[in-house]
Parts: sequence; structure tokens; C-alpha cells
Amino acid sequence: MSAIITAQNLEKIYIRGSEKIVAVDKVSLSLEEGEFVSFVGPSGSGKTTLLHLLGCLDNPTSGSLSIGDISVFADNKSISEQKLTKIRRNNFGYIFQKFYLIPTLTVKENILLPYAFYKNPSANTTAEELAERLGLSHRLSHLPKELSGGEMQRVAIARALINKPNILLADEPTGNLDSKRSMEIAAILSELNREDGITIILVTHNPALAEVANTTVHLQDGKVIG
Amino acid sequence: MPSITGIAYKNLRRKRIRSILTIFGIALSTWVLVSLFGFNRGYEASLNNDIDNLGFQVLLTAKGCPYEAATLMLQGSKSLRYMPETVLDSLNQNAAVDKITPMLMQTVFDVNKGEEGGMVGYLGIDPETYPSMKPYLTFSSGAWFTDRDAKEAVLGYEVAELEQREVGDLMLIPEKEVEVTVVGIMKRSGTQDDGTIFMPYKALQTIFGVENQLTSVGIKVKQDVDINAYEEQLYSIPDVQVVSMAQVKNTISNLVSTAKVMVMSIAIIAILIAMVGVMNTILMSVLERYQEIGIMKSMGATTFHIFRLIWFETVILCALGGIIGSLFSIVMASLTETLIRYILPYAPSGALIRIDFMLAIKSIGIITIIGLLSGIYPAYRAAKIKPIEAIRSSEGEL
Amino acid sequence: MKVHVFLLFILLFPILISAATGCDLNDPDADIKRLFPQSTGYKTAYLSLQKTGGSDALKRVEKSLGDKLSGTYETIDVPYSVYTVFKGKDVLGYVHGVNQKGQYGGLQVFLALDNRGVISNFYLQKLSSKDAKYFKDKKFTSQFKGLALVDFSTYNLATGKGSSKLNAIKDPATSPKSDFAAIMRAVKKNLSLMQEFVFKK
Repeated sequence: MSAIITAQNLEKIYIRGSEKIVAVDKVSLSLEEGEFVSFVGPSGSGKTTLLHLLGCLDNPTSGSLSIGDISVFADNKSISEQKLTKIRRNNFGYIFQKFYLIPTLTVKENILLPYAFYKNPSANTTAEELAERLGLSHRLSHLPKELSGGEMQRVAIARALINKPNILLADEPTGNLDSKRSMEIAAILSELNREDGITIILVTHNPALAEVANTTVHLQDGKVIG
Repeated sequence: MPSITGIAYKNLRRKRIRSILTIFGIALSTWVLVSLFGFNRGYEASLNNDIDNLGFQVLLTAKGCPYEAATLMLQGSKSLRYMPETVLDSLNQNAAVDKITPMLMQTVFDVNKGEEGGMVGYLGIDPETYPSMKPYLTFSSGAWFTDRDAKEAVLGYEVAELEQREVGDLMLIPEKEVEVTVVGIMKRSGTQDDGTIFMPYKALQTIFGVENQLTSVGIKVKQDVDINAYEEQLYSIPDVQVVSMAQVKNTISNLVSTAKVMVMSIAIIAILIAMVGVMNTILMSVLERYQEIGIMKSMGATTFHIFRLIWFETVILCALGGIIGSLFSIVMASLTETLIRYILPYAPSGALIRIDFMLAIKSIGIITIIGLLSGIYPAYRAAKIKPIEAIRSSEGEL
Repeated sequence: MKVHVFLLFILLFPILISAATGCDLNDPDADIKRLFPQSTGYKTAYLSLQKTGGSDALKRVEKSLGDKLSGTYETIDVPYSVYTVFKGKDVLGYVHGVNQKGQYGGLQVFLALDNRGVISNFYLQKLSSKDAKYFKDKKFTSQFKGLALVDFSTYNLATGKGSSKLNAIKDPATSPKSDFAAIMRAVKKNLSLMQEFVFKK
């Protein structure tokens, strides 16, 4: 097993007025391929920021980060925006609390959104397979506003999986859902990890959800505390 | 599979009213633009046509003599000055001359016209040379005179209607008590000829006792001749004045240029307003979709992709507005023309606004380019959005 | 300078030829004051047979005239100017003119009618004739005073014969006879139209 994400002394500092906020405080961690890890901690513990850093959505203030054997950030320097986009596209799938579906597009078009920018003829089949797997086949031509919350999140998951990522980042994926729907989502994530071998990082403050992960990382004040 | 164009189009439909209003604004400015271009071309062409319809580029008149029927009617025959018919020979000798045609104007006072009486004017022409200079004059019935001395008349459309004359009817020249037979009636030409009574100039000379006298000569110069230089030569003939149609054209063009500047300013203002409208619409739509755009970027859309997406929206708005505006301008051309005629100091007859397919295409192109320019800033703003900022701003967490 | 004369012409041209439409008084203010010296004002109405009664109206006028209306200025849509003349608020009478084809040109025959339709004045606004001075002479024009449409009802346009009142009006012309006949037709046409436009009610 090789490390798929390696972070060393990763730090993120925001300056708000005269106040200096350390959101992520020198975190070092290494994730193996196929791991399912959850970040838990109270609000403001820096778990989401850490997720964004690891997912190459945000630049750290200092430290170093590698995805597979590519160094994304080291010596206070990030690789170019273009290369970052490529890494995001090839390696990551993202799921957010607020789903962020495009309201004007149908379910199928939402799932295929990444391929509005990059043509991929086989993506159509992939989208249909994903919809089948996530129980969305009958919803493909519907607009997001016609869906339930659980369905919307499943669409978001399908969209995150369309590029066949090896890492899935989920930020409070059940934050807007009731407990029954939450468990459905948890089951899906678990299955993706178990059967497809996708590495998953889950950010949540829902203990029941965190339990689905194999490993739990506790954060407080930007530091890993266990 | 979604596409950038599809996303752009669907987004415009999301805020339907806003998009329609923006398109309407662009359509209005296109209308102004197309009409303005069409006017610039049409006016020029109609003016040239009007001047060309005079049939000759240079009019030679006796010094101090009014050279148009209207002035003659206003001033009466006392103001008439003559030049000897022999002038024709010297004119014919000049190599620059293509054709010449002698003319004689005469007026009489008709006591029976209303309570106070009024002037009646006659234009004596040469049946051999005049018709070929005015090929656009066509007959609704009859034909030109049989010979130079015939006591015959050809009537312009308006005169024939007013006097209820038909071919074969008689007319009476007041004062002279001379009967003249109507041999031809013209179709309406939209020019001064509609109000003219034409007679053979020789006959007119005899009737009015002005033998061997002319009031003016119309001169058509050869095509490659420098008219200005020729005009200078003409002044060597004693006691004549030279009126060149080029001069007339210039004067009218100058008068009209003020109006053109005005219309041009309106067009520029309309376009500026449309530009601001487009910029506002697109910028609002970018700001409203901050997170959507962020998500697209996290899904692998590059700065360039987003720039293109937003630009597409601008192109759709502008192209649609441009097409609608062009169609509108074609449909409304006659109304626009009435409006312009109302504004202008002098408008020639014929179509003032000439709009064709190419002009419409050009205008749509210009509007679209202008739209693209106004789309740059919003597109730049959108392209600059960082995915994390967009997400963070909505999740509200560090 | 000369260019401006040319422009003047172009600008004035439409005014110069506008006289060709309809049959209006050249100078209505002065003309009406002369035809009705007591008048204090007038109103102008533009009426056509088309507007007032369509083809039925045309048929009624043709019947009254005893002839077809077929000339240039006789079509159903020709607008006629009917001047209603007032003294204060009271209607003094009417002034109305018609076009008629004459020997040497168009004739314009205006009648001043009192409010019962009786001719009070006769005015030839336009006439081209060698004998114009006889036609415009009071000796000729005054003979129409006091006549009304009823006096023309038996007048035959073709033969020129009618009631004794009309037979008394003689052609003053020395040469061709057609202008006299044209004037008689114009007067009868004028009265017939006025019957349709005004007095029918």
C-alpha cells in the first residue's frame, strides 16, 4: 500500500483585520490508498479547511502536500492553477453539504457537468451506470428542484464519481438530510470504499456517520488531537 | 451531455424577463444602428439620383435670370434675361460637351386664376435633345411634340390632373390667346417635371416674340471631363451664370451633415446604453452564480472555460438582439423614413433608407462585437472566482 | 446664392403643386367675406360620397344630376370642401366648389348657398377661355342668384333645355359652346352634391 495523500506541517492562516486566525495548525498526516477516514471536531476546529487543503481546493500558508507522487505544494510554492485543475479533475470527487447542483440542468446533465468542459464519449454510459447504482435512473431527466434532499445528494455523489476519482472528499454530506437519508448516504460511501476501493475523507460532526469510517481523526483548534 | 453553450442558454432562460429586456435594449440600438447606416447609404444614393434626374450636370443661364420654373412663377416674367441662341454653336464646339439642350422659360399672368389672377409658366424645350437627357420621363399617354414649331404641349402629371386635360384637348395661353394642343401626358415622376407645361422652344419663341433667345442651356459633359475646369471655361461666355449640380449636391450634403451628426450621437448613446445593460445583466448573473461557478471550477473547469461560458451568454443576448433589431429595422423602415424626413431640412425623393441583407449582417456583427467587449469584464470577474472562495462564502466556515 | 435659389425651389415645389388636390378656395378668408359680407366665421369640412353614404349616395347624386359621375374629379372618394358660414352662432349658408372639365382647362365653380339651399352667389375661381370676361361678368353670374336644385330638376344636360328660368340664361361666349354647357353641368353637380352632403337631413 502506498500513500495517496501526504501532508507535512500543513498550515493555513487567515488574516482578518488585525486578527490572525490559525485554521490548520501544522498538521502532518498520510493517507493510504483505499482508506476511509473521517475528520470530526467542533465548529471552527479546522476540519473543513483541512479537507479543502488536502483536496487541492485551497492553498496552504506553509508546509508541503503531495498527491500520489506529485508535489502540489512545497517551499511556499504551489504548482500552477492549470496543473491544479488537472489534478482535481483526475484524482478527486467532491461532495458538499449544499449539493451545489446547477438548477437549470437536468439530473443527467448535472452528473455529466465536468464533461461540459472535457469531452468524453464514454461518460454517457458511466453516468447511466452511476444513476442505476444510486437509484436515480427514473430521475435522469428531472430538474434538481423536483428531487428530494436525499436524491439531490445522490446526484451530487454521482457527479463526484463521474470522472472515476480515486479520492472522494465529502464535507458534511448529510448536514441537510434527516437521519434515515443520512444513513443511506453513509451506506453508499461505505460501499464505494469497500467495493471500488475509493479513498474517502469524510468531514462530519455526526458521530453516527463518523463510525462508518475505518479511521477517525479528531481535530480541535486546527490541531490533530487523536 | 451538457455543453458550455447549453449551460449558457439555459441560464439565460432562468431569468427570462431580465434576458428579454436586455435583448430588447440591444434590439433597439441595432435598429438605430441599421437605420443609420441604411440612411447614410440611401440618402447619398437618393440625392445623387435626384441630381442625376435633372439630366445635366451643368446649367447655363443668362446672368440674373432665375433658372427654375418656381422662382419664375414667384417673380414673373419681368425678371427674365436672355442669351442669344448662337451660344449653342460655341458650346457645341467644346470637346468636353457630350450633349446640350436649349431651354426657354416663359410666364404669363392669367387674370382668370382666382380673384387676383396668377402666374402660369411654360418650359420651352427642344424635342430632339431634351428627352434623351431625361430618360426617366415616361408618358402615361401620348408622346413628345412632332416638331420644334408645333403649337403643342406635353403636361406633367399634376398639371394634367388640375387642368383635366387629356391627349387631344386644347389649352389656352392667356394674354396671347393662343390655342395649344395637348399631345402627351407624363406619368408621375416625383420631380418638378410633374408640375411643368412643356412646349417646343421654337413655338414658344414665336408666341412670345422672343425669337432666337434662350433663358438657359442644360449641358451634359463627357464622362471623364473635369467639371470644375469646364465650368471655368464657361465663364468666358459673356453674361452667363453657371450652376453646377455638384455644387448643389455639396450644399445639400452640408445642410444634412448636421442632422447626420445628431442621428449618429443618438446611435452612439443607444449603443452605450445597450452596452451598460449587457454588462449589468451578465455581471448580475455572474454574482448570483458565484457558487455554481466555483463548483464548475472544482469539477475541472478552467479559467478559460468559465470565461467562455460567460462570453457565450453575452453572444447569445447580443446576436438575438441584433437579429431582432435588424428585422425590426427592415419592417419599420418606412416609419423610420417618415421620422427622418420630418427631422431633415431637405430630403430627396426616393428611398432614404436602404437596408439590405449585408447591411443587416454587418450591423449584427458590430453589435455582437460591442456586446463581446462589454462581456469581457463580467467574464473576467467570473473566471477569477476561486472554487474555495465560492464554497466557503456559502458554507460560512473556515 | 444661386444654390440657395435652387433649394428654395425644391422646398417650395410641393406647395406649388398642392393646388392640384381637391377643390378648395384659394384664399378662403377673403373669398368667404366677399361671398357673405355679413359673415363672422366659417368651418371647413372635407366630405366625400364614400364617407357620407357610399355607392348609394353616388347613385342618388347621379340620378339628381341626370348623368354619370366619371371624370377625374368625380370619383366616389374625391374629397369636397364644404365651408359652413356663420354669423355669430347662426348658420348663414354654405360655400362649395366643384371641378369640371372645360374647353381649355379645368373649371372651378363655387356656389354660395343660403341655409335653404338657394344660390346667393356664383364664383368662377378658375376658367381658361377666350370669353372668360363674359363668363365672369356680373351680367352672367347674377342670373344664377335665387335658383335652387329644384329649378335644375328638369334641366337636360345634353340638350341644354329646362325650366323657363334656366332657358333665360344664355351662353355669353362668342366662339365654342362647350364652356357654357360645362358651367351648367358644374352648377347642377354642385347643387346635387350639396343636397347629399347638407340639405338631405
